[in-house]
Amino acid sequence: MTADTLSTKNSPYPSTDAAVLFRAEGLHKSFGGVRAVRDISLAIPAGTVFAIIGPNGAGKSTLLNLMSGIYQPDAGSMVFDGIDLVGLPAHRRVRYGLARTFQKIRLFKQLSVIDNVVAGFHIHHDIPAWQYVLHGSAFRRDHARCRDEAEKLLAFIGLDKRAHLLAGSLSYGEQRMLEIARALATTPRLLLVDEPAAGLNAAEVETLLDRVGMLRVQGVTVVVVEHNMDLVMKVADRVLVMDYGQYLFEGSRAEVQAHPAVIAAYLGADFQ
Amino acid sequence: MSNPEIAEQPITSMANSILTSRRFWLILAAIVISLLPMIFTDSYWRTNLIVCAINVMLAIGLDFIIGYAGQLNLGQSAFYGIGAYVSTLLITKLGVPFWIAFGCGVLLSGIAGMLLSLFGVRLRGHYLAIASLGFAVITYQILLNWISLTQGPLGIYAIPPPPALRLAGLPIIEFSNLANLFYLTAGFALLIYVLLDQLVRSPIGETLTAIREDEVSAASLGINCQKWKVFAFAIGSSIAGAAGCFYASFVGTLVPDAFFITESFTILAMVIVGGMGTLIGPVFGAILLTVLPELLRGIGDLRLIVYGVAVTLVVLFMPGGMVQAARLTAARVRRVVRGAGTEATT
Repeated sequence: MTADTLSTKNSPYPSTDAAVLFRAEGLHKSFGGVRAVRDISLAIPAGTVFAIIGPNGAGKSTLLNLMSGIYQPDAGSMVFDGIDLVGLPAHRRVRYGLARTFQKIRLFKQLSVIDNVVAGFHIHHDIPAWQYVLHGSAFRRDHARCRDEAEKLLAFIGLDKRAHLLAGSLSYGEQRMLEIARALATTPRLLLVDEPAAGLNAAEVETLLDRVGMLRVQGVTVVVVEHNMDLVMKVADRVLVMDYGQYLFEGSRAEVQAHPAVIAAYLGADFQ
Repeated sequence: MSNPEIAEQPITSMANSILTSRRFWLILAAIVISLLPMIFTDSYWRTNLIVCAINVMLAIGLDFIIGYAGQLNLGQSAFYGIGAYVSTLLITKLGVPFWIAFGCGVLLSGIAGMLLSLFGVRLRGHYLAIASLGFAVITYQILLNWISLTQGPLGIYAIPPPPALRLAGLPIIEFSNLANLFYLTAGFALLIYVLLDQLVRSPIGETLTAIREDEVSAASLGINCQKWKVFAFAIGSSIAGAAGCFYASFVGTLVPDAFFITESFTILAMVIVGGMGTLIGPVFGAILLTVLPELLRGIGDLRLIVYGVAVTLVVLFMPGGMVQAARLTAARVRRVVRGAGTEATT
């Protein structure tokens, strides 16, 4: 199945639109008999917050795993800033500026908070190979720079006071924020966050919303997978609604809130 | 309440900076190594010292793979054997100079490690353990049954010691002397330790730890897990190869039984008893588990039981090994000292 033969009815943007940072067409992914993602197309404009919502089991996380490269799609195409992503392993996508967090927190729990962030600088180290064994001035410069930037990122998400605790000892909400800091250490242009508000208290959600807004101002495009409608309505520029692995609707916040199919999917009303 | 602490701070911080200075510990280790053959003058204990140095190499090599990269490798005995047999066969059959044969042995066991890692790249945890154990069994069987090459269970005899270091044609340091052979092996073990220590304190250490903790997460940070696992195996197995070369030239005879799979478990026990994921732990684990069976020789076959019980107790009650025990003790001492200090002022 090629992109040409696909219907473009799901894609609200013309394919020549230069402002689109990420474009997917006709994505399919099945696990055994379960069709987790069916014919999903989306176009994410650069510099926006793009939300993917839907009830549990709608295929949101699978879609995110396709985008980040944990799974490869059965069919469909994905292009990120002119780069064909299909077949590209997850670690290669990071080098092009695609980072993510996980719904089920996956921090390095035995490492300190700051070391978790420093691990995120993996693709940015600037050290000649021999200095890994014989630490020289380039090594020390790189080390100092990473610590410095890691501290800035921790300050950004409000964990600078906890830099030297073990990551596993943080509260649930703090661990979620640390995952974001760690992903930011890779300096992404597109950040995928999977249910960032799950398990957060009201104050933490406010901080999260604030930081997502700041990232957008800094030019980072953010994709938020969420089923918390309130949060999505506060932060998203555009919203894609999924149900049973399929495209349901895509539009602005207001359009989504007014759309009968969306209301039906969430409230179970008979909209016909 | 804060006054005594302020007064005490410069002293403790100075003591701390000495104790945490790696140069200090390096010099201390070098001094201890140079004194040991003078303290132990009989050939029995000098032999044990050399075995200690060889086991230290094997243990820190394995710890790099298991403790840092988190890859459960039970094939260390095979890499050890490959290093020993490759270098010995090159020396005895082709007359290759020792140090070139040494390099070939290290290289080939490193390549074997890389191949094992490449084939086992999709395997993790117990599955990788079984695959690497299988590799160790196969290697042992080849050493045992390829009689035309290895002479099988008959063994290879009269392997010469490393050639003497010469200056202007005169032998300066003879390695037929056990003390000098100890200096050579222990010096090498110390060198490997220092290089590995530098490596794990570099971003490579963070990368490997990230892979150990969570591969999916590591990949999400741009880490090519496959590549770094192969790297860890290459380093760890070539160190085992180096240990094998030294072993062959020190013992002078090679039989496949020295590289039976139980050797893999012995090395693993050294790593666990010492403290996985720290480099210093396996050093002391290797020394303890080499010396302990010798000290227990007086009680005959009972020693195997005592040895087994001791290892089991460590695993049960001190899963972090000797390093964890030392850290807990140090913390307790510090608390007692601080408690005494505040009591004295009140």
